[in-house]
Amino acid sequence: MQSLRPNGRKSISYAKYGYLFILPFFIVYVFFMIYPLINTFRLSFFGNGNANADTFVGLQNFKYILVGGSRPAKAIHEEFIRSLKNTVILWVGNFIPQIILSLLLAVWFTDSRVKVKGTGFFKVVMYMPNIITATSVCGLFLILFGNSKYGAVNAMLLDMGTIAEPFKFVNTVTSSRVIVMFIQTWMWFGNTMILLMSGIMGIDLSLFEAASIDGASSGQVFFKITLPLLKPIFLYVLITSMIGGLQMFDIPYLFHEGSGASAIQTHLETAAVFVYKHFHLIDPNYGYSAAASVLLFFITGILGLLVYRFNTSSDDRAAAKSNKKKSKHAGLL
Amino acid sequence: MKNFKKKIALLAALACAGTMLAGCNSDDTTSDDASADATTAAADNSGAAEETTTMNAEEQAAANEAAAVELADDGDKLTILCWTGADLDNMIPLFCEEKGYSADQVTWVQVGTSGGEAREQYQQYLAGDEDADILILEADWILGYLNDQYTVPLSSLGIDASAYSEAYPYTVAIGTDENGILRGASWQAAAGGYVYRTDLAEQYLGVTSPEQMQEKIGDWDKFQEAAKTVSEASGGKTAMTATLGGMWQVYQANRTQPWVKDNKLVLDNAENFLDIAKTFRDNKYETGVTQWSDAWFAVGQDDSTMGYFFSTWCLAKGAQLEQAEGGEGGATYGKYNICVGPSNYFWGGSWLAPSAKCDNKTMAADFINFFTTNKDTMQKYAEKSGDFVNNKAAMQAIVDAGSNSNALLGGQDQFAVLIDAAAGINMDGLITAYDSSIKDSFNNAVTKYVDGEYATKEDALNGFQDDVATKYPDLNWD
Repeated sequence: MQSLRPNGRKSISYAKYGYLFILPFFIVYVFFMIYPLINTFRLSFFGNGNANADTFVGLQNFKYILVGGSRPAKAIHEEFIRSLKNTVILWVGNFIPQIILSLLLAVWFTDSRVKVKGTGFFKVVMYMPNIITATSVCGLFLILFGNSKYGAVNAMLLDMGTIAEPFKFVNTVTSSRVIVMFIQTWMWFGNTMILLMSGIMGIDLSLFEAASIDGASSGQVFFKITLPLLKPIFLYVLITSMIGGLQMFDIPYLFHEGSGASAIQTHLETAAVFVYKHFHLIDPNYGYSAAASVLLFFITGILGLLVYRFNTSSDDRAAAKSNKKKSKHAGLL
Repeated sequence: MKNFKKKIALLAALACAGTMLAGCNSDDTTSDDASADATTAAADNSGAAEETTTMNAEEQAAANEAAAVELADDGDKLTILCWTGADLDNMIPLFCEEKGYSADQVTWVQVGTSGGEAREQYQQYLAGDEDADILILEADWILGYLNDQYTVPLSSLGIDASAYSEAYPYTVAIGTDENGILRGASWQAAAGGYVYRTDLAEQYLGVTSPEQMQEKIGDWDKFQEAAKTVSEASGGKTAMTATLGGMWQVYQANRTQPWVKDNKLVLDNAENFLDIAKTFRDNKYETGVTQWSDAWFAVGQDDSTMGYFFSTWCLAKGAQLEQAEGGEGGATYGKYNICVGPSNYFWGGSWLAPSAKCDNKTMAADFINFFTTNKDTMQKYAEKSGDFVNNKAAMQAIVDAGSNSNALLGGQDQFAVLIDAAAGINMDGLITAYDSSIKDSFNNAVTKYVDGEYATKEDALNGFQDDVATKYPDLNWD
């Protein structure tokens, strides 16, 4: 390039302004994301309780959480395993109904033959629960399903004579889990539906036309055209939902009566709640919290990779490889 | 290109996962160093508290004197950290009026909405640059703050420990740090009693006066007996008490040992309480609602409960009792009376402690003296607010004058009932820095036991100890 300019003047580089413009973001990112992230790893090697927050303990926290040992270690181990189990139960229980519902609605709303009227209205209404803060939603459900006879549902059932005693919706294992799953589904199906709809609308219309000309039934269209072509979006929804599910926090944390860290329901205590709970004790266990976060980070990463691998066929990967080779080759030329 | 997009999506997804870690980390830097010393110091408190009592008065005075810290006196405003602004709105005008300060010289900062939140957020507030002259602290977690990091000895303000001869002894014990230095003083004596429905008591127990009621429920056996009578007479409709949590607050007053002794968890009478709790739940002697919930207030109006265990601060205007009565004109307004109940006990209370950042020495001293040592001004405050102040002479004077009549209690004078109970509270050596956490775990274990989530008492005790073990792995658990 320089040879084109005989007077030797270098071209003006505008790149540095670009860097300047994005600098604020990176400063904020380093302070609020990178540093805490690294510090979490660091903290996971340090002791618990205020007195030992600065004592290096090596891998002890991980050992206690994963293996157990003496009474406190065993208790923390059991608590962590229980919290993982709760996380999986709550996630599966809200993901399956959520994806079925969203897929069904997305297909209906985009189908040119069904022509649902007022899709805009329905989209807004169905997305609405996602706009309300989790705290308000949880407060609402706590009022509806309150443990005592003053809870709305209990009052109704008592009035109708269906039950003789108030049912403890909040404290009973099954009912509280089902309610939390329902809340999660209800809050997120609109969001998933919109994602899937955008995926379906991205599919070439001529494929649907060709299918209907060939006389395909709507079932065939769905399974042979919509689903396979929806896979990338589907994969995205699955992975983001899984990550969100592993971090599920607000509703399980809030859905209890009474106050104090111990009042959080043991059968609703997800991994993220575990982390928060131990972080906010009077004598905070930073070590356990940090170690659990690190574990959760790896679990999320591994699961993400696995799902990604299972859902991309070996052909795709081979194609990707050869693409890479090709481009390398091209680069050399 | 398609694959590239997928990878970007995956990367984005993993980045989201990364941020999850970040969230866990936000405030450790502000609080770990700060509170480290606090709890180490408090950890071996149980022994220290005994030490306090063995020190003779002279030694103690000397120790207090020696511990005094030089404070600045050039701050522009007296700033009080609290979580109960309503109290201070009552206190500050009286203080300013009597002492000749202008109202804008004293201000309060609400830090959190409950004692628990305040406990956590004070550390963050104090780590910053803002002014703080006086901290309001709660018995359950006060020990974490009674050290050089956060507070200075009261002697730094020129307030001598001997000024508290008329205070209720348990409040002085709680305000004393592990070295026997007085760092906080309560303006309230939060003695509690059993507040019951007079109409239901007459109907089911045939009692017509608080004295007769006290006869009926004077100890735990009698209390249970009365619960049985009420339950049978009302056909199971009326319970004796609103919550087990409230009952535990009273029952724990019978403890003879602190929760943590020699670095070990001490169960003491915890097991007995599980039995009582189970009996009360199974026979519906308690309503089954959750403490402080909306339902908890509602049972006060529909004959679901005979009464509540209320502390003095629940009986003030606008406080818990009034809400339980449905407010003025409510279904049960003024239909309650108070008696001591099965045990003397205290519940809560607020301690004033000069902050380590105090820069208004004179005013802070004035304020603390005004509400904790000066009999006349304390009496004035009690008469104005209905608070049970921490001064025996002042309370005696009010009771003798017979001037106090609480409309919520149908005109009864709660001070007359509680004055002996307050004097009977002994907390020497029973307070530890672990209390609020451990109580929290225990109340929860009780709830799970009576709900049937723990099948046996052993399960409940084990679950309780496990819960405490995860909170305090460094106690001795062998």
